[in-house]
Amino acid sequence: MKNKIKIFRAMHDLTQEQLAQAIGVNRQTILAIEKEKYIPSLDLAFKISRYFGVNIEEVFISDEKTPTIKDT
Amino acid sequence: MKKNTFYLIFGCIALALLFLFWYSVELHTPLLIEIAFILGIVLVYLAKRTVTDSIEDERDVKITEQATIRTMQVFWVVFCAFSIGAVMQILYVPTFPRQPMGTRPPDLLGPRMIGYIQLGLLCLMVFLYVGFRIYYAKKYGEFETDEE
Repeated sequence: MKNKIKIFRAMHDLTQEQLAQAIGVNRQTILAIEKEKYIPSLDLAFKISRYFGVNIEEVFISDEKTPTIKDT
Repeated sequence: MKKNTFYLIFGCIALALLFLFWYSVELHTPLLIEIAFILGIVLVYLAKRTVTDSIEDERDVKITEQATIRTMQVFWVVFCAFSIGAVMQILYVPTFPRQPMGTRPPDLLGPRMIGYIQLGLLCLMVFLYVGFRIYYAKKYGEFETDEE
């Protein structure tokens, strides 16, 4: 799971600490998500994307190809 | 409460427990340290709940969860394997080739030693948990550094 948190942070001039405090997690968690060491829960992913005021797909990109209903 | 205050209280409780352990040994009263240990742990949990400058988020919960599961998976197998052997010895399961009636094979471990080994295994579980915790903390980016 790739993400653009670092880009969005830079766009809004936010530090990891500020973002972490705003959404109620540790700075280390933001760092771990940015470095793709930890995949956040759906709830946390929504919190992050809502904080930046964008859709979840704009922040998180799934690199896994899963079959869709059209494929079946 | 600040995180450092909590660590200070934790240290004081640990010291008090150490003193009570020594005191209960002197008095030959195991009940004293048993009750004190339970009360000490309850106090630690209550104090931890009042810490305000430390957040336990979903990643912390995941690390704890994974470390606990792996510890239990390893521990129950080792503990049960040893305990089954110990129970067989206590129940005097006949050996092959069969011994003549009335002659009991020599005990490899006495019941007291079996208890000590089980206690040792329980203590080892703590080290196992710490090891797994460090492993999962590393896996989920606990020791990552950044340019910030």
